[in-house]
Formats: sequence, C-alpha cells, structure tokens
Amino acid sequence: MSTSSKNMRQEFADTMLEVGTRDEELVVVVGDISHGILQPFAKACPERYFNIGILEPTMMSLGAGMAKVGLKPVLHTIAPFIIERSFEQIKLDFCYHQLGGNIISVGSAFDYSNLGCTHHCYSDFALLKTLPNTEVLYPASALEFNALFKQTYRNDKVTYFRLPGRMHSLKFNKDDISLGKGILVEKGDDLSVVATGPHLDTAMEIRQKLAAEGKSAEIIYIHTVRPLDEELIVQSVAKTGNVIVIEEHMRSGGLGDDVLRAISALPETRFYSASIPDRFVTGYGTYDELLESVGLTCDQIIEKLSW
Amino acid sequence: MSDVLNKDLRRLIVDMTVAGRDGHIPSAFSIIDIVTFLYDNVLKFDAKNPENPERDYFILSKGHGCLALYVNLFRHGFITRHDIDNFCKKGGILGEHPDATKVPGAEASTGSLGHGLSFAVGVAMGHKIRKMNNRHFVLIGDGESHEGTVWEAAHVAANQKLKDLCVIVDWNQSGMQLLPMDMIPAKWEAFGWHTQTIDGHDLMQIENALQAVADKKIDQPSVIVAKTVKGKGVPMIEGHGMWHHRIPNDEEYALIMEALK
Repeated sequence: MSTSSKNMRQEFADTMLEVGTRDEELVVVVGDISHGILQPFAKACPERYFNIGILEPTMMSLGAGMAKVGLKPVLHTIAPFIIERSFEQIKLDFCYHQLGGNIISVGSAFDYSNLGCTHHCYSDFALLKTLPNTEVLYPASALEFNALFKQTYRNDKVTYFRLPGRMHSLKFNKDDISLGKGILVEKGDDLSVVATGPHLDTAMEIRQKLAAEGKSAEIIYIHTVRPLDEELIVQSVAKTGNVIVIEEHMRSGGLGDDVLRAISALPETRFYSASIPDRFVTGYGTYDELLESVGLTCDQIIEKLSW
Repeated sequence: MSDVLNKDLRRLIVDMTVAGRDGHIPSAFSIIDIVTFLYDNVLKFDAKNPENPERDYFILSKGHGCLALYVNLFRHGFITRHDIDNFCKKGGILGEHPDATKVPGAEASTGSLGHGLSFAVGVAMGHKIRKMNNRHFVLIGDGESHEGTVWEAAHVAANQKLKDLCVIVDWNQSGMQLLPMDMIPAKWEAFGWHTQTIDGHDLMQIENALQAVADKKIDQPSVIVAKTVKGKGVPMIEGHGMWHHRIPNDEEYALIMEALK
C-alpha cells in the first residue's frame, strides 16, 4: 500500500514491486542507482531486473529494444545522465519508433546540491517537451507517483517521472490524481499561483503571507507538466489577472513558458516566472541554500511582485 | 570481375541511386553480399507478416548502407517495385536511411550511428525474458565502431550472455582513415565475444562463419568481422574517395554498368 509519508524513492521501489509482481511485462533497468532499495523487486522478479552498468545511452536504447518486443521498460538513474546524456536515444530509439517506456529519475534539479553541476539537471522539462510522444510528470508525493505510474506505464508514450528529494506536505486522495489534470488546491481572487513539485508548499506559504495583506491567492498544483492542464490555468488567470509560476527548472523551456503561452490571449495579465535563471547553479551548500541562491524562497518571490 | 557476387542487385542499387538522385553506392556494395546471404539462407521471416513475433531480426545499424537492405526487401516481397522506383522521391517510403515506421521489414530507423546494436541488445534481452528463441543479426560499420555506444552494448551483451545475438562488422577500412589503430577482431575478443574474421565477399566464408555461429555451444554472443571493400565490384568506385555519396553521370553510369555485366 502506498502512504504519503514515504519518500519518493521508496515509493518508486514499492510501486515496482506492487506492479511488477502482477504484470510480467514490467522490466526494471537501473544504472547502479537505487539498487539496494529495489532488492524486493529484484528478488521477486529476478528475470526482469537488471542493474545493467553505467552506460546510460545504451540503457535507453536497450529499453526501446525491450519495448519493441512488447515489454514495459522502466529505466532509472540520476536525471542528468538519463535525460541529457541519453537525449538522442530517447528521441530516436523511443520517440521516433513510437515505442512506449518509462524513465524515472532521481536528482531533481539541484537536489544533489553539493555534487555540483555534473549532477544537476534543470533542463529536463524543456528537452523532453521538444520530443513528440512524451509525457512529463513531476509527482511530489508518494501517492501521486503510485497513481500516475499505474495510469501511464502501459501506454505507448515515453513517460518521464522526475522524482524530487523533497516532497510537498499536502495530502491528496488517490482519486484527485489524474494524468494531465491540475489540482485546484485553494480558491482565490487576486492572484493565481501555479506550482509544481515541492513548491506547492512555497505557494501555500505565499498565499498565507498575502492573506495578511488582504489579498487572496488561488493555488493550482501541477504534477503533469505535459500534457498541461491549460484549461484550469486559463480559467484561474482569467479571473485573477495575475499569475506566478513556481518551478525548479530553467526559465527557458519550463512550465512558465507553457503557462505564458496558454494565457497569451487573456487581456491585461501580469506574469512572473519564479524559476532557475538561465545559468548554471554553481554554489554548494544545502538544498535550501541553493533555493535561496536562485530566488526560489517564498519571501524572494513575494519581493518580486510589485502587484 | 567474374568473382563479383550479386551483380544484378548491384545494378539495381546503381539504378535506384541514379533515379533517386541520391544514395551511398559504395557503402551498399561493401555489405550487399553478406546481407543477401542472410536473407537468402539464414533469416526466418514472413514478408506477408513482417511483425511475426517468431521472426529473426536483422538490424542495419549503418543505415547509410540501406540500398543493400532495400533490394533484398524487394526481392523477398516486403516492398514493391513502386517503392523501389520512388526511392528518395516525394511520397516514397524509401529514404537514404531505413525508416522502420515506413518500411515493412526494416526493424529499426537508423542513420545516426551507434544506435542499432544497443537497440538490438534490448530486443534480444526482451526475447530472453519472454523465453523466445528469435535470432538477432546486427550489421555495423567499422567507422560506426568509433561510437562509444557500440562498446557499451558489446559489454552488456557479453555479460548478459546473449547467445542469439550476432554482430557483423563491415570492416571496409573506413574507420582506419581517421583512427588507424583499429584492430577490430582483438577488441571484440577482449569483450568476450565469439569472434571470427572472414572475407566479406567470399560466399563460402560467409556461409561457414554463419554456420559456426549456429553451431557454437557457448552462451556468448558472436561477431563476424567481415573484411570488405567499399564499392566492391566496380574498381573505379572502390575505396574511400569521392564516390562515398556521389551520383554517377551518364558516362560513369555506363562504365559502372559495364563493370557489372
């Protein structure tokens, strides 16, 4: 059973066991990441578990080869290696062949703060959105991952799950979670805050602080970056006239760009992208310190709002 | 030139190149003998049902040699004369690299080098998971073997003991133009593969090597390093010069066809 108290990686391992023991077409391939935590699956389904080696492009291609014979591959390692290093393999071997597969990363954005730029990845949304036949998911609670994986893993898309190290603290019901559907978390009239990943908590903090100033923020949570629930966002922004998008992704190509495009027909709308500036994040320190270094704390975001 | 095999297919390749105003003739000529032998004598397939799950897989990883694949798909009924006549033409299904989304019998869309073997390793692993006995043949280039993914895949295939996987290296010396230290057979042996080196234009050697692959008792994957000649069969285009990607003019066409009579 999934519980929302588990961390994302544990939920990943548990979901593989849960799904893999009843679906003989699920295959899990890892690049020496999460090998320990996946042992229950490896022991239950030894012929369908591979700690394949440290060779991400080939891991991606061979996953596509497995999909070619009807299997449902899950490919897993750290985000920059599985997305940026293997990008052409995703593009050609999966997407061009119209083969379905599941890519699950850890090391979201700069979660591996002290490991430096080699282990950061904040271009993944942008890269995968350029490829036809992809879905981009950013579940930030255990329940979301379990639900979204079950909804998508057998479809014929390339479905990317970016698993964050920090989860948001809100509790959803399983029935609330549906691929491509945003969640209206709180209603408000003055400002729409569209948040993804752990920054749902940041959005809630912003809402609380603005309330003290007499302003009400509407909070929309996005676990599916692609396909994006544009309808929910446009409805909200049409009402409030103001929107902030909060994401741990480079400004270029992130969720903010898609929101801006979605609301472009709305008159007199103000937009602010709280995201990672288009530069490398070079500092060390804790995850929270890196958040501050790129302006992604509640107070920094509020400070940017002149409205 | 009496020792040149498959002159009819070589002529068709030239005709397609001239009609389509595009094509890599020498790259196709260096592999045509092996590819033809595979389709005529080794591969299990059903042209009327190219997706038959029990088929053997042939993946042409050096996609620019696709004319050798196309003429074999044509003569075995996967594609039609109309398809051949529309090579590189608007509305046609045959381009300068094989497209598995368009071409019946083409197992992978290749062209960017270094993908086909890794993809085939996954297909072979998938069949092993499904406890199926399909065989998998992958033709790669020696220049393509500069790509690191070739060796990633070689490493995985040996460790996964993919006994039903056979790589054929088209060792036509393209790679040695850039990286002369190119002892290909020794590399494959070092990766733990069952390794044979043959003349890739000698019918008996091709047959014996493929028979040895079928007969081997060990679980390791196999590689046949085929010494070939780029442009084999027409001396004026053999080697690594301008003919790599050239369309013959009328005079050249006549000379090539004379050599292939």
